[in-house]
Amino acid sequence: MSELGVIIDPSAPARASVPAVERMPADLRGKVVGFIDNSKNNFNVLVEEMSDLLVREYGVARVVKQRKRAASVPATDEILREIRDNCDLVIAGSGD
Amino acid sequence: MASVVICSSAFQTLGRAQAKAFGAPDLPLAIIPHPFGSRTRDEIKTIAAECSAQIARIVHQGGQGVNRGTTEAATASRFVEAPWEQEEFDAFCRSRAWSDGLPLVAPTEARVARMLAGTSRAPGDIVGAIAPSYAAATVERIAANAVMTGCDPRFLPVVIAALEATCDPVFNLQAVQTTTNPATPWIIVNGPLAASLEINGGVNCLGQGSWANAAIGRAVRLVLQNIGGAIPGTMDQATHGQPGKFAFCCAENEAANPWEALHVERGQAQGSNAVTVVCATGTLNVNSHTKNADELLRVFADTLAQPTSNDYWYSGAPFLILSPEHAEILHRAGLSKADVKQRLWTQSKLDASRLSDRDFLRPEHARRAELGEVTRETLLPITKTPAEIGIVVAGGPGTHSVYVPGFGNSHPATRAITP
Repeated sequence: MSELGVIIDPSAPARASVPAVERMPADLRGKVVGFIDNSKNNFNVLVEEMSDLLVREYGVARVVKQRKRAASVPATDEILREIRDNCDLVIAGSGD
Repeated sequence: MASVVICSSAFQTLGRAQAKAFGAPDLPLAIIPHPFGSRTRDEIKTIAAECSAQIARIVHQGGQGVNRGTTEAATASRFVEAPWEQEEFDAFCRSRAWSDGLPLVAPTEARVARMLAGTSRAPGDIVGAIAPSYAAATVERIAANAVMTGCDPRFLPVVIAALEATCDPVFNLQAVQTTTNPATPWIIVNGPLAASLEINGGVNCLGQGSWANAAIGRAVRLVLQNIGGAIPGTMDQATHGQPGKFAFCCAENEAANPWEALHVERGQAQGSNAVTVVCATGTLNVNSHTKNADELLRVFADTLAQPTSNDYWYSGAPFLILSPEHAEILHRAGLSKADVKQRLWTQSKLDASRLSDRDFLRPEHARRAELGEVTRETLLPITKTPAEIGIVVAGGPGTHSVYVPGFGNSHPATRAITP
Protein backbone atom coordinates (compact mmCIF):
# COMPACT_ATOMS: atom_id res chain seq x y z
CA MET A 1 0.00 0.00 0.00
CA SER A 2 1.16 3.56 -0.72
CA GLU A 3 1.87 6.14 1.95
CA LEU A 4 -0.98 6.95 4.32
CA GLY A 5 -2.39 10.40 5.02
CA VAL A 6 -5.08 11.79 7.29
CA ILE A 7 -8.49 12.74 5.91
CA ILE A 8 -11.70 14.01 7.45
CA ASP A 9 -14.31 11.27 7.63
CA PRO A 10 -17.07 12.21 5.15
CA SER A 11 -19.59 9.96 6.90
CA ALA A 12 -21.27 10.44 10.24
CA PRO A 13 -21.50 8.02 13.13
CA ALA A 14 -24.88 6.40 13.61
CA ARG A 15 -26.92 8.09 16.30
CA ALA A 16 -26.00 6.60 19.64
CA SER A 17 -29.00 4.97 21.25
CA VAL A 18 -29.70 5.56 24.89
CA PRO A 19 -30.96 2.16 25.93
CA ALA A 20 -34.25 1.92 27.72
CA VAL A 21 -36.16 -1.26 28.21
CA GLU A 22 -39.59 -1.39 26.64
CA ARG A 23 -41.10 -4.56 27.98
CA MET A 24 -43.35 -6.71 25.91
CA PRO A 25 -46.56 -7.81 27.60
CA ALA A 26 -45.97 -11.23 29.16
CA ASP A 27 -48.48 -12.81 26.79
CA LEU A 28 -51.19 -11.73 24.41
CA ARG A 29 -54.15 -12.88 26.53
CA GLY A 30 -56.51 -10.03 27.39
CA LYS A 31 -54.36 -7.44 25.63
CA VAL A 32 -55.36 -4.77 23.12
CA VAL A 33 -53.34 -5.02 19.91
CA GLY A 34 -53.07 -2.12 17.47
CA PHE A 35 -52.26 -2.41 13.77
CA ILE A 36 -50.83 0.38 11.63
CA ASP A 37 -51.67 -0.69 8.09
CA ASN A 38 -49.11 0.78 5.65
CA SER A 39 -51.84 0.69 2.95
CA LYS A 40 -49.79 -1.43 0.55
CA ASN A 41 -51.68 -4.04 -1.44
CA ASN A 42 -53.03 -6.89 0.70
CA PHE A 43 -51.80 -5.56 4.03
CA ASN A 44 -55.41 -4.79 5.01
CA VAL A 45 -56.28 -8.43 4.24
CA LEU A 46 -53.39 -9.63 6.41
CA VAL A 47 -54.61 -7.35 9.23
CA GLU A 48 -58.12 -8.77 8.93
CA GLU A 49 -56.92 -12.38 9.00
CA MET A 50 -54.47 -11.80 11.83
CA SER A 51 -57.03 -9.90 13.89
CA ASP A 52 -59.38 -12.88 13.75
CA LEU A 53 -56.60 -15.28 14.69
CA LEU A 54 -55.21 -13.16 17.50
CA VAL A 55 -58.62 -12.88 19.13
CA ARG A 56 -59.74 -16.47 18.45
CA GLU A 57 -56.55 -18.38 19.12
CA TYR A 58 -54.31 -16.15 21.20
CA GLY A 59 -56.88 -14.60 23.56
CA VAL A 60 -56.38 -11.00 22.45
CA ALA A 61 -59.19 -8.85 23.93
CA ARG A 62 -59.55 -6.40 21.09
CA VAL A 63 -57.82 -5.11 17.97
CA VAL A 64 -57.52 -1.45 16.96
CA LYS A 65 -56.94 -0.93 13.22
CA GLN A 66 -55.43 2.23 11.77
CA ARG A 67 -54.46 2.80 8.13
CA LYS A 68 -51.97 5.30 6.70
CA ARG A 69 -52.89 7.39 3.63
CA ALA A 70 -49.93 5.93 1.73
CA ALA A 71 -46.96 3.71 2.56
CA SER A 72 -44.43 6.47 1.94
CA VAL A 73 -45.86 8.98 4.41
CA PRO A 74 -45.44 8.81 8.18
CA ALA A 75 -48.39 7.81 10.38
CA THR A 76 -50.27 10.94 11.44
CA ASP A 77 -50.24 12.16 15.05
CA GLU A 78 -53.89 11.17 15.26
CA ILE A 79 -53.08 7.55 14.36
CA LEU A 80 -50.19 7.44 16.83
CA ARG A 81 -52.32 8.93 19.61
CA GLU A 82 -55.11 6.45 19.01
CA ILE A 83 -52.65 3.55 19.20
CA ARG A 84 -50.73 4.88 22.21
CA ASP A 85 -53.86 5.60 24.23
CA ASN A 86 -55.58 2.29 23.59
CA CYS A 87 -53.10 -0.48 22.93
CA ASP A 88 -50.66 -2.73 24.80
CA LEU A 89 -48.78 -3.72 21.65
CA VAL A 90 -48.52 -2.15 18.20
CA ILE A 91 -47.89 -4.09 14.99
CA ALA A 92 -46.78 -2.01 12.01
CA GLY A 93 -46.09 -3.03 8.43
CA SER A 94 -43.11 -2.31 6.23
CA GLY A 95 -42.28 -3.43 2.71
CA ASP A 96 -44.44 -4.82 -0.06
CA MET B 1 -44.57 1.24 23.50
CA ALA B 2 -44.09 -2.45 22.81
CA SER B 3 -43.86 -2.82 19.04
CA VAL B 4 -43.40 -5.43 16.33
CA VAL B 5 -42.85 -4.62 12.65
CA ILE B 6 -44.07 -6.97 9.96
CA CYS B 7 -41.57 -6.86 7.12
CA SER B 8 -41.54 -8.69 3.80
CA SER B 9 -38.36 -10.73 3.33
CA ALA B 10 -36.85 -8.45 0.64
CA PHE B 11 -36.95 -5.48 3.02
CA GLN B 12 -35.47 -7.11 6.12
CA THR B 13 -32.14 -5.34 5.69
CA LEU B 14 -33.87 -1.95 5.44
CA GLY B 15 -36.09 -2.75 8.44
CA ARG B 16 -33.11 -3.74 10.56
CA ALA B 17 -30.99 -0.74 9.48
CA GLN B 18 -33.88 1.65 10.03
CA ALA B 19 -34.60 0.27 13.52
CA LYS B 20 -30.94 0.80 14.40
CA ALA B 21 -31.03 4.38 13.07
CA PHE B 22 -34.01 5.11 15.31
CA GLY B 23 -32.11 3.79 18.34
CA ALA B 24 -34.06 0.53 18.60
CA PRO B 25 -31.61 -2.05 17.22
CA ASP B 26 -33.50 -4.92 18.86
CA LEU B 27 -36.92 -3.97 17.50
CA PRO B 28 -38.54 -7.32 16.69
CA LEU B 29 -39.34 -8.00 13.04
CA ALA B 30 -41.88 -10.60 11.95
CA ILE B 31 -40.96 -11.69 8.44
CA ILE B 32 -43.48 -12.52 5.73
CA PRO B 33 -42.59 -13.77 2.22
CA HIS B 34 -41.89 -11.28 -0.57
CA PRO B 35 -43.64 -10.27 -2.80
CA PHE B 36 -46.71 -10.06 -0.63
CA GLY B 37 -49.02 -7.77 -2.62
CA SER B 38 -49.84 -10.43 -5.23
CA ARG B 39 -50.93 -13.21 -2.81
CA THR B 40 -54.38 -14.80 -2.92
CA ARG B 41 -56.72 -14.76 0.07
CA ASP B 42 -55.92 -18.42 0.84
CA GLU B 43 -52.19 -17.75 0.74
CA ILE B 44 -52.67 -14.78 3.06
CA LYS B 45 -54.56 -16.98 5.54
CA THR B 46 -51.51 -19.25 5.76
CA ILE B 47 -49.14 -16.27 6.05
CA ALA B 48 -51.38 -14.71 8.74
CA ALA B 49 -51.23 -17.91 10.82
CA GLU B 50 -47.44 -18.09 10.55
CA CYS B 51 -47.03 -14.38 11.25
CA SER B 52 -49.35 -14.50 14.30
CA ALA B 53 -47.32 -17.42 15.66
CA GLN B 54 -44.09 -15.44 15.13
CA ILE B 55 -45.55 -12.50 17.04
CA ALA B 56 -46.77 -14.75 19.87
CA ARG B 57 -43.22 -16.16 20.12
CA ILE B 58 -41.76 -12.63 20.15
CA VAL B 59 -44.15 -11.66 22.94
CA HIS B 60 -43.40 -14.85 24.83
CA GLN B 61 -39.67 -14.05 24.75
CA GLY B 62 -40.46 -10.43 25.54
CA GLY B 63 -39.11 -10.62 29.10
CA GLN B 64 -35.77 -9.46 27.71
CA GLY B 65 -37.36 -6.29 26.46
CA VAL B 66 -36.35 -4.17 23.52
CA ASN B 67 -33.71 -1.50 23.61
CA ARG B 68 -35.31 1.76 22.77
CA GLY B 69 -34.72 5.33 23.66
CA THR B 70 -33.84 8.76 22.50
CA THR B 71 -30.83 9.01 20.23
CA GLU B 72 -28.03 11.47 20.08
CA ALA B 73 -26.15 12.62 17.00
CA ALA B 74 -22.42 13.20 17.35
CA THR B 75 -21.11 16.33 15.66
CA ALA B 76 -17.33 16.20 16.12
CA SER B 77 -15.50 15.28 12.91
CA ARG B 78 -13.41 12.14 12.93
CA PHE B 79 -10.02 11.80 11.31
CA VAL B 80 -9.02 8.61 9.54
CA GLU B 81 -5.90 7.39 7.80
CA ALA B 82 -6.32 6.71 4.11
CA PRO B 83 -3.94 5.72 1.31
CA TRP B 84 -2.59 8.69 -0.67
CA GLU B 85 -2.28 7.06 -4.05
CA GLN B 86 -5.42 7.77 -6.20
CA GLU B 87 -6.44 4.22 -7.19
CA GLU B 88 -5.91 2.98 -3.64
CA PHE B 89 -7.81 5.94 -2.21
CA ASP B 90 -10.79 5.20 -4.49
CA ALA B 91 -10.70 1.53 -3.50
CA PHE B 92 -10.55 2.58 0.16
CA CYS B 93 -13.65 4.78 -0.30
CA ARG B 94 -15.51 2.01 -2.13
CA SER B 95 -14.70 -0.44 0.67
CA ARG B 96 -16.32 1.92 3.17
CA ALA B 97 -19.34 2.64 0.93
CA TRP B 98 -18.25 6.30 0.71
CA SER B 99 -18.17 6.28 -3.08
CA ASP B 100 -20.60 6.93 -5.92
CA GLY B 101 -18.37 4.82 -8.14
CA LEU B 102 -16.48 7.73 -9.72
CA PRO B 103 -12.99 8.92 -8.70
CA LEU B 104 -12.94 11.06 -5.55
CA VAL B 105 -10.62 13.74 -4.18
CA ALA B 106 -9.17 12.95 -0.73
CA PRO B 107 -10.71 15.32 1.87
CA THR B 108 -7.49 16.26 3.65
CA GLU B 109 -7.62 18.75 6.49
CA ALA B 110 -6.05 21.42 4.29
CA ARG B 111 -8.53 20.90 1.44
CA VAL B 112 -11.52 20.84 3.81
CA ALA B 113 -10.24 24.04 5.46
CA ARG B 114 -10.08 25.71 2.02
CA MET B 115 -13.61 24.49 1.27
CA LEU B 116 -14.88 25.86 4.59
CA ALA B 117 -13.66 29.31 3.54
CA GLY B 118 -16.60 29.26 1.10
CA THR B 119 -19.12 29.70 3.91
CA SER B 120 -19.40 31.92 6.97
CA ARG B 121 -21.04 29.10 8.91
CA ALA B 122 -19.15 27.37 11.71
CA PRO B 123 -17.75 23.89 10.90
CA GLY B 124 -19.74 22.30 13.72
CA ASP B 125 -23.10 23.84 12.73
CA ILE B 126 -25.72 21.18 12.01
CA VAL B 127 -27.36 21.81 8.65
CA GLY B 128 -29.80 18.96 9.14
CA ALA B 129 -30.36 15.41 10.34
CA ILE B 130 -30.31 13.48 7.09
CA ALA B 131 -32.85 10.68 6.74
CA PRO B 132 -32.92 7.72 6.94
CA SER B 133 -29.99 7.55 9.42
CA TYR B 134 -30.83 10.99 10.87
CA ALA B 135 -27.11 11.49 11.48
CA ALA B 136 -25.89 15.07 11.76
CA ALA B 137 -24.83 16.81 8.55
CA THR B 138 -22.41 19.33 9.99
CA VAL B 139 -20.93 22.04 7.79
CA GLU B 140 -17.53 20.36 8.06
CA ARG B 141 -18.79 16.93 7.01
CA ILE B 142 -20.63 18.51 4.07
CA ALA B 143 -17.41 20.33 3.15
CA ALA B 144 -15.50 17.02 3.20
CA ASN B 145 -18.00 15.52 0.74
CA ALA B 146 -17.84 18.65 -1.43
CA VAL B 147 -14.04 18.29 -1.59
CA MET B 148 -14.46 14.67 -2.66
CA THR B 149 -16.64 15.60 -5.67
CA GLY B 150 -14.36 18.42 -6.79
CA CYS B 151 -16.40 21.44 -5.67
CA ASP B 152 -14.98 24.94 -5.70
CA PRO B 153 -15.38 26.55 -2.23
CA ARG B 154 -17.84 29.01 -3.81
CA PHE B 155 -20.18 26.08 -4.49
CA LEU B 156 -20.44 25.12 -0.80
CA PRO B 157 -23.30 27.53 0.13
CA VAL B 158 -25.37 26.05 -2.72
CA VAL B 159 -24.72 22.50 -1.49
CA ILE B 160 -25.65 23.55 2.07
CA ALA B 161 -28.89 25.27 0.97
CA ALA B 162 -29.88 22.26 -1.14
CA LEU B 163 -29.37 19.90 1.80
CA GLU B 164 -31.33 22.21 4.10
CA ALA B 165 -34.17 22.10 1.60
CA THR B 166 -34.13 18.29 1.43
CA CYS B 167 -34.64 18.25 5.22
CA ASP B 168 -37.89 20.24 4.95
CA PRO B 169 -40.63 17.82 6.09
CA VAL B 170 -42.68 18.49 2.93
CA PHE B 171 -39.84 16.95 0.90
CA ASN B 172 -40.25 13.65 2.81
CA LEU B 173 -36.58 12.69 2.49
CA GLN B 174 -37.11 9.52 4.54
CA ALA B 175 -39.28 8.08 1.77
CA VAL B 176 -37.28 9.62 -1.09
CA GLN B 177 -34.11 7.91 0.17
CA THR B 178 -35.55 4.47 0.93
CA THR B 179 -38.21 3.92 -1.76
CA THR B 180 -38.04 1.36 -4.57
CA ASN B 181 -38.90 4.27 -6.94
CA PRO B 182 -36.06 5.95 -8.90
CA ALA B 183 -36.38 9.05 -6.70
CA THR B 184 -33.74 11.72 -6.16
CA PRO B 185 -33.59 15.44 -5.43
CA TRP B 186 -33.28 17.63 -8.54
CA ILE B 187 -31.52 20.85 -7.53
CA ILE B 188 -32.63 24.04 -9.29
CA VAL B 189 -30.59 27.20 -8.67
CA ASN B 190 -32.06 30.68 -9.15
CA GLY B 191 -30.61 34.17 -8.84
CA PRO B 192 -27.50 36.02 -10.01
CA LEU B 193 -25.22 33.55 -8.21
CA ALA B 194 -26.12 30.90 -10.79
CA ALA B 195 -24.42 32.90 -13.55
CA SER B 196 -21.40 33.85 -11.45
CA LEU B 197 -20.80 30.19 -10.50
CA GLU B 198 -21.50 29.15 -14.11
CA ILE B 199 -24.29 26.80 -13.08
CA ASN B 200 -25.67 25.85 -16.47
CA GLY B 201 -29.34 26.57 -17.23
CA GLY B 202 -28.88 26.64 -21.00
CA VAL B 203 -27.67 24.20 -23.65
CA ASN B 204 -27.31 20.64 -22.24
CA CYS B 205 -28.02 21.90 -18.70
CA LEU B 206 -29.00 18.40 -17.50
CA GLY B 207 -26.15 16.76 -19.36
CA GLN B 208 -22.41 16.48 -18.95
CA GLY B 209 -19.76 19.16 -19.23
CA SER B 210 -20.68 21.80 -16.63
CA TRP B 211 -18.35 21.76 -13.64
CA ALA B 212 -20.71 23.40 -11.14
CA ASN B 213 -23.75 21.31 -12.13
CA ALA B 214 -21.72 18.11 -11.84
CA ALA B 215 -19.78 18.90 -8.66
CA ILE B 216 -22.74 20.37 -6.72
CA GLY B 217 -25.12 17.63 -7.81
CA ARG B 218 -22.62 14.95 -6.91
CA ALA B 219 -21.81 16.52 -3.53
CA VAL B 220 -25.47 16.54 -2.48
CA ARG B 221 -25.83 12.90 -3.51
CA LEU B 222 -22.67 11.90 -1.67
CA VAL B 223 -23.92 13.53 1.56
CA LEU B 224 -27.26 11.72 1.20
CA GLN B 225 -25.34 8.46 0.99
CA ASN B 226 -22.45 9.07 3.39
CA ILE B 227 -24.28 10.96 6.14
CA GLY B 228 -27.89 9.97 5.40
CA GLY B 229 -26.91 6.32 5.19
CA ALA B 230 -28.79 5.65 1.94
CA ILE B 231 -26.41 2.97 0.75
CA PRO B 232 -27.73 0.98 -2.21
CA GLY B 233 -29.08 -2.38 -1.12
CA THR B 234 -29.39 -1.51 2.54
CA MET B 235 -31.30 1.71 3.19
CA ASP B 236 -31.56 2.74 -0.50
CA GLN B 237 -33.95 0.15 -1.93
CA ALA B 238 -34.36 1.65 -5.44
CA THR B 239 -35.32 -1.03 -7.94
CA HIS B 240 -33.19 0.59 -10.67
CA GLY B 241 -32.33 4.10 -9.50
CA GLN B 242 -31.61 6.52 -12.34
CA PRO B 243 -28.62 8.44 -13.80
CA GLY B 244 -29.79 11.54 -11.90
CA LYS B 245 -28.66 9.77 -8.72
CA PHE B 246 -25.08 10.62 -9.72
CA ALA B 247 -25.87 14.34 -10.11
CA PHE B 248 -29.03 16.27 -10.92
CA CYS B 249 -28.49 20.02 -10.77
CA CYS B 250 -29.11 22.96 -13.09
CA ALA B 251 -30.00 26.64 -13.04
CA GLU B 252 -33.23 28.10 -14.30
CA ASN B 253 -32.68 30.00 -17.57
CA GLU B 254 -34.04 33.23 -16.10
CA ALA B 255 -32.97 35.32 -19.11
CA ALA B 256 -35.21 33.20 -21.35
CA ASN B 257 -38.07 32.92 -18.84
CA PRO B 258 -40.94 35.21 -19.88
CA TRP B 259 -42.59 34.85 -16.45
CA GLU B 260 -41.50 35.17 -12.81
CA ALA B 261 -38.57 32.99 -11.80
CA LEU B 262 -39.23 29.76 -9.89
CA HIS B 263 -37.83 31.04 -6.57
CA VAL B 264 -39.85 34.28 -6.82
CA GLU B 265 -43.01 32.27 -7.47
CA ARG B 266 -42.08 30.31 -4.33
CA GLY B 267 -41.80 33.36 -2.08
CA GLN B 268 -38.15 34.47 -2.43
CA ALA B 269 -37.22 38.06 -3.29
CA GLN B 270 -36.60 39.11 -6.87
CA GLY B 271 -32.85 39.15 -7.45
CA SER B 272 -32.10 36.88 -4.47
CA ASN B 273 -30.27 33.54 -4.69
CA ALA B 274 -32.14 30.37 -3.85
CA VAL B 275 -32.18 26.62 -4.32
CA THR B 276 -35.30 24.55 -4.91
CA VAL B 277 -35.25 20.78 -4.55
CA VAL B 278 -37.78 18.66 -6.40
CA CYS B 279 -38.10 14.91 -6.05
CA ALA B 280 -37.60 13.66 -9.62
CA THR B 281 -38.27 10.11 -10.77
CA GLY B 282 -36.86 10.60 -14.25
CA THR B 283 -36.81 12.84 -17.32
CA LEU B 284 -38.86 12.40 -20.48
CA ASN B 285 -38.12 14.23 -23.73
CA VAL B 286 -41.26 16.10 -24.82
CA ASN B 287 -40.62 16.98 -28.47
CA SER B 288 -43.14 19.09 -30.37
CA HIS B 289 -42.62 21.30 -33.41
CA THR B 290 -46.00 23.00 -33.17
CA LYS B 291 -46.02 26.78 -32.90
CA ASN B 292 -49.62 26.81 -31.70
CA ALA B 293 -50.10 27.30 -27.93
CA ASP B 294 -53.36 25.31 -27.74
CA GLU B 295 -51.81 22.35 -29.54
CA LEU B 296 -48.69 22.55 -27.42
CA LEU B 297 -50.74 22.43 -24.21
CA ARG B 298 -52.76 19.52 -25.56
CA VAL B 299 -49.71 17.36 -26.33
CA PHE B 300 -48.06 18.32 -23.02
CA ALA B 301 -51.23 17.33 -21.13
CA ASP B 302 -51.44 14.01 -23.01
CA THR B 303 -47.82 13.33 -22.07
CA LEU B 304 -48.48 13.85 -18.36
CA ALA B 305 -51.48 11.52 -18.22
CA GLN B 306 -49.91 8.11 -17.60
CA PRO B 307 -51.68 5.38 -15.60
CA THR B 308 -48.42 4.28 -13.90
CA SER B 309 -47.71 7.77 -12.50
CA ASN B 310 -47.27 8.19 -8.74
CA ASP B 311 -48.47 11.77 -9.08
CA TYR B 312 -51.98 10.67 -10.11
CA TRP B 313 -52.06 7.98 -7.43
CA TYR B 314 -51.21 10.31 -4.55
CA SER B 315 -51.56 13.90 -5.91
CA GLY B 316 -47.93 14.79 -6.34
CA ALA B 317 -45.68 17.54 -7.61
CA PRO B 318 -44.62 16.89 -11.23
CA PHE B 319 -42.54 19.42 -13.17
CA LEU B 320 -42.31 20.50 -16.75
CA ILE B 321 -39.04 22.06 -17.91
CA LEU B 322 -40.10 24.28 -20.78
CA SER B 323 -37.51 25.02 -23.43
CA PRO B 324 -37.17 28.74 -24.12
CA GLU B 325 -38.90 28.20 -27.51
CA HIS B 326 -41.92 26.45 -26.01
CA ALA B 327 -42.16 29.04 -23.20
CA GLU B 328 -42.12 31.81 -25.80
CA ILE B 329 -44.98 30.24 -27.80
CA LEU B 330 -47.14 30.09 -24.66
CA HIS B 331 -46.17 33.58 -23.53
CA ARG B 332 -46.88 35.09 -26.97
CA ALA B 333 -50.36 33.57 -26.84
CA GLY B 334 -50.97 35.77 -23.81
CA LEU B 335 -50.74 33.00 -21.21
CA SER B 336 -49.29 33.62 -17.74
CA LYS B 337 -47.49 30.82 -15.90
CA ALA B 338 -50.63 30.35 -13.78
CA ASP B 339 -52.72 30.08 -16.98
CA VAL B 340 -50.39 27.39 -18.31
CA LYS B 341 -50.67 25.43 -15.06
CA GLN B 342 -54.46 25.78 -15.02
CA ARG B 343 -54.77 24.58 -18.62
CA LEU B 344 -52.40 21.64 -18.05
CA TRP B 345 -54.20 20.63 -14.86
CA THR B 346 -57.62 20.68 -16.50
CA GLN B 347 -56.54 18.96 -19.73
CA SER B 348 -54.38 16.26 -18.13
CA LYS B 349 -57.04 14.66 -15.93
CA LEU B 350 -56.64 10.89 -16.08
CA ASP B 351 -59.54 8.52 -16.45
CA ALA B 352 -59.21 6.22 -13.40
CA SER B 353 -60.43 3.29 -15.53
CA ARG B 354 -57.00 3.32 -17.22
CA LEU B 355 -55.30 2.17 -13.99
CA SER B 356 -54.78 -1.53 -13.30
CA ASP B 357 -57.10 -3.00 -10.67
CA ARG B 358 -54.41 -3.12 -8.00
CA ASP B 359 -53.01 0.31 -8.80
CA PHE B 360 -56.51 1.80 -8.58
CA LEU B 361 -56.65 0.78 -4.89
CA ARG B 362 -53.99 3.43 -4.13
CA PRO B 363 -55.80 6.61 -5.27
CA GLU B 364 -59.07 5.07 -4.11
CA HIS B 365 -57.69 5.15 -0.57
CA ALA B 366 -55.08 7.94 -0.68
CA ARG B 367 -57.16 10.58 -2.49
CA ARG B 368 -60.52 10.00 -0.79
CA ALA B 369 -60.08 12.89 1.65
CA GLU B 370 -59.20 15.19 -1.24
CA LEU B 371 -61.65 14.07 -3.95
CA GLY B 372 -64.45 12.31 -2.08
CA GLU B 373 -65.31 8.80 -3.21
CA VAL B 374 -62.91 7.75 -5.99
CA THR B 375 -64.45 5.36 -8.54
CA ARG B 376 -63.38 3.88 -11.86
CA GLU B 377 -65.23 6.81 -13.51
CA THR B 378 -63.31 9.49 -11.58
CA LEU B 379 -61.15 11.87 -13.59
CA LEU B 380 -58.01 12.11 -11.45
CA PRO B 381 -56.17 15.44 -11.48
CA ILE B 382 -52.37 15.11 -11.44
CA THR B 383 -52.03 17.39 -8.39
CA LYS B 384 -54.37 18.75 -5.72
CA THR B 385 -54.30 22.23 -7.25
CA PRO B 386 -53.10 23.64 -10.60
CA ALA B 387 -50.43 25.66 -8.76
CA GLU B 388 -48.68 22.43 -7.72
CA ILE B 389 -47.70 21.61 -11.30
CA GLY B 390 -44.14 22.93 -11.43
CA ILE B 391 -42.89 24.99 -14.39
CA VAL B 392 -39.23 25.79 -14.93
CA VAL B 393 -37.74 27.39 -18.05
CA ALA B 394 -34.35 25.92 -18.93
CA GLY B 395 -32.32 24.57 -21.81
CA GLY B 396 -31.04 25.91 -25.10
CA PRO B 397 -32.52 26.23 -28.59
CA GLY B 398 -34.75 23.39 -29.74
CA THR B 399 -38.31 22.09 -29.73
CA HIS B 400 -37.80 19.92 -26.64
CA SER B 401 -39.27 20.35 -23.22
CA VAL B 402 -38.76 17.82 -20.42
CA TYR B 403 -41.35 16.11 -18.25
CA VAL B 404 -40.01 15.39 -14.75
CA PRO B 405 -42.48 12.99 -13.12
CA GLY B 406 -42.64 13.12 -9.35
CA PHE B 407 -42.71 10.60 -6.54
CA GLY B 408 -46.26 11.37 -5.45
CA ASN B 409 -45.53 11.85 -1.76
CA SER B 410 -42.83 14.52 -1.90
CA HIS B 411 -43.26 18.25 -2.44
CA PRO B 412 -40.64 20.83 -3.45
CA ALA B 413 -38.79 22.95 -0.90
CA THR B 414 -36.91 26.22 -1.45
CA ARG B 415 -34.13 27.77 0.63
CA ALA B 416 -32.23 31.03 0.29
CA ILE B 417 -28.51 30.61 -0.44
CA THR B 418 -26.61 32.43 2.28
CA PRO B 419 -22.86 33.14 2.15
